[in-house]
Amino acid sequence: MYENAQYIQSYGRNTSIRVDINGVTSFVPLDPNNTDYAAIMTLVAEGKLTIAEAQ
Amino acid sequence: MAVPYTFANATTAIPLSQLDNNFATPITIGNTATQLGNTITTVNNLTLANVTISSVATPITVAEGGTGSTSLTANNVILGNGTSAVQVVAPGTTGNVLTSNGTNWVSQALSASSSSISNGTSNVSISSANGNITSYTNGVLAQTIDTNQNSIHPATVVMGSSFLRNRIINGDMRIDQRNSGASSTATNVYTVDRWSYAASQASKGTWGQNLNAVTPPVGFTNYLGFQSSSAYAVGASDFFAFIQPIEGYNIADLAWGTASAKTITLSFQVYSSLTGTFGGALKNSAGTYSYPFSYTISSANTWTPVSITIAGPTTSTWLTTNGLGVAVIFGLGVGTTYSGSAGSWAATNYLSATGATSVVGTSGATFYITGVQLEVGSVATPFERRLYGQELALCQRYFYQWSSAGGDGYTSVATGNGFSSTQCDFAIQYPVTMRAAPSVTFSAASTFYLDSIQAGNANSGAASWIDATTTNGSIRWTFTSGVTNGFALKLRANNSTSAYIQYFAEL
Repeated sequence: MYENAQYIQSYGRNTSIRVDINGVTSFVPLDPNNTDYAAIMTLVAEGKLTIAEAQ
Repeated sequence: MAVPYTFANATTAIPLSQLDNNFATPITIGNTATQLGNTITTVNNLTLANVTISSVATPITVAEGGTGSTSLTANNVILGNGTSAVQVVAPGTTGNVLTSNGTNWVSQALSASSSSISNGTSNVSISSANGNITSYTNGVLAQTIDTNQNSIHPATVVMGSSFLRNRIINGDMRIDQRNSGASSTATNVYTVDRWSYAASQASKGTWGQNLNAVTPPVGFTNYLGFQSSSAYAVGASDFFAFIQPIEGYNIADLAWGTASAKTITLSFQVYSSLTGTFGGALKNSAGTYSYPFSYTISSANTWTPVSITIAGPTTSTWLTTNGLGVAVIFGLGVGTTYSGSAGSWAATNYLSATGATSVVGTSGATFYITGVQLEVGSVATPFERRLYGQELALCQRYFYQWSSAGGDGYTSVATGNGFSSTQCDFAIQYPVTMRAAPSVTFSAASTFYLDSIQAGNANSGAASWIDATTTNGSIRWTFTSGVTNGFALKLRANNSTSAYIQYFAEL
């Protein structure tokens, strides 16, 4: 269960996603080989999750 | 000339006088001439066909092509003896061997010193002194096998199946970074390292390293255990299983999905309060091809070794990258949707074998497993022992945890520096290169503390994880104020032994 996703920036560009995974706050790098990132992107593609822009 | 005698009218013996001279001419048998009525005892150069000899006055000699003997004792071995009658060697005592003393052959027990088989400068000998088997090639020691089955090779060893042959990581369930041996009822999480507990329903059982503290099988100190918490009737689409996903790099040589697909053997030891047929499966990353397998536990509460040989699949897609190569699944209760016929590949996402025992179906039922090995070939070799540090490093490619547990409460994480009035970064290097850039979780911010030379001590703010690769990344700590750009800081535990940072790169 991925919820409350938001990009995090470093040096002015997105570098990871802060997201609650089964209720635990996690930080997921933008690496297609990372299974969390792949799952998040699948949910986004399916319209089931939105990633908020970085603050 | 006398009147010819009429033979047809003869009623008595025909007198020789009645025979003409031609009948007095000797006839020749072989090359021996004789006259009718004469007696001969020797016939030379005679060829006979279809002859039956009913008896001979004396044994036919060796020189005449015989044996020179009147009888040959059953089971004796015949030895040559020039032109004299053959000699024989009796079998002697059970276990005897036919041995040469350089002149004669005798039946005797194995030598009191050693026995050997030689071929020129190469030989194999068995020492009766210590039982060792030693081989020499070209006169040089090649191999010694002692009575403890240790094999000593002075030169290079080339094996069809190599060392580091087990494709399973943490097959003996030793490494438990996340839980340190604690049990849990959580679902769809990793248990001991590399082994996940997948379940379609929550709260149907407890898992854990060395759960219930049964005695592991000889040679092992750990196992992964499961105990059912109820008698749950598995639905068609339910599944409960222990799973190890194997990285594609570690099965690339199997050539699965090609005509050259290699056979593998999966072996393990299991112990259950239940008996019967149990099941599991192998499947690919896409869940489009799988092989259900079954095995039998005949005796309850007894460690049972199991070996399953599987011909490699010649079709479908099997990743040979850092993605999921093959998943090894041990079912604890799987519904009909995910169960298939054991013993054959199918283009379906099976997790177990049809008819397999459901552990979750019996309240209090237990299932323990260890010594899991997946190797190339059709023979289950002994479980491959790896040093603890090696096994831990293999696990850390997929999961790594920094923890203040076991420390004094002030364990350091890293040093870093402020780069604005509100943020500071701490560079992190992993112990080993991870499979992918890892996801990270932190314990509560209050369990951390920042020793800041210029900005003062702080245990507020919030952590995040940035700029990650497979080898390193940075922890960013953000405050509302108080950080000095360019000044050094240290991130440490805040008088806590429960601080942790977990790095996930699992499959």
